[in-house]
Amino acid sequence: MNHDHERGAHDHPHAPISADQAPGYYDLMETAVRELLIERRLIGADEIRRQIEVLDSRTPALGAKVVARAWLDPNFKARLLADGRKGCEEFGISFYDDTQLIVLENTETVHNLIVCTLCSCYPRPVLGLPPDWYKLKPYRARAVSEPRAVLAEFGTHIADDVEVRVSDSTALVRYLVLPRRPQGTQAYSEEDLAALVTRDTMIGVVEVNTPPERPN
Amino acid sequence: MNSSEDLLKRLPNDIGGMPAEPISRIEHELAPWEKRCHALADVLDFHKIINTEEKRRGVEALGAEMVGKLSYYERWIAAFANILLQKGILVPSDLAHKMAEVEARWVTHP
Repeated sequence: MNHDHERGAHDHPHAPISADQAPGYYDLMETAVRELLIERRLIGADEIRRQIEVLDSRTPALGAKVVARAWLDPNFKARLLADGRKGCEEFGISFYDDTQLIVLENTETVHNLIVCTLCSCYPRPVLGLPPDWYKLKPYRARAVSEPRAVLAEFGTHIADDVEVRVSDSTALVRYLVLPRRPQGTQAYSEEDLAALVTRDTMIGVVEVNTPPERPN
Repeated sequence: MNSSEDLLKRLPNDIGGMPAEPISRIEHELAPWEKRCHALADVLDFHKIINTEEKRRGVEALGAEMVGKLSYYERWIAAFANILLQKGILVPSDLAHKMAEVEARWVTHP
């Protein structure tokens, strides 16, 4: 196997990239479409590999950095809320998919939730690829009509006097939730704060956990 | 039961507000071909060959049965193939021959 050295990093049972397993029908179709487009010079031979590297470089850790900075720097927060894309670009987060970003701030009186009812639009440049549940019918169908029931299924209970606002993403306009900074984090560094911010808090299905108190 | 009128008002993807099951918090690590398929979608968009709205319409055009039975990236690659055929960028025999060629690589070099 002369390609072994290239596969080492993937060499575990969940990623059958080995040469002894024939690809499935859709896998064949993907390879065929890609190779035909490259042969016709409609796309470049390296572009897919480069875009996979871009996709792999995007994780919720990027969004978490943006949130932590917004918690600490009111001027940055104002710029981020005014133009989410420009705010993220200050961190060097490029928007490879030509989308706009609106950052929605959770407050004492408003809790935000994002969804894409039609398909799976998501702030990929900042959070990476969405989880499966975000793309499946139950979340897409119900988030807009019974958001509190959906939130409860994630263990999130929003007080009745807090407005729940649901934003439905489009091909061109994506949303990111700026969650509330938890109590008891006054002494936290930006890095410590970012570590509290998970993907699901930026979708709005959960709140940022208050860090556990040290036992007395 | 939907009346036929509802079928016109609601395309297969337009499910916002419909009743549905409880959320099941499913996640999976993408298979290598699924990640390549995602990258292909982005590259097709960069080159204005297939944009995001065309992709969504292409998935809708698969019809409710395929939307229900194919997985997420299976729907995407099926939609891309159909759109490329519709636009005359590929013809069906190109795709059939190339798929056979790709498959043969695995048969002749197990």
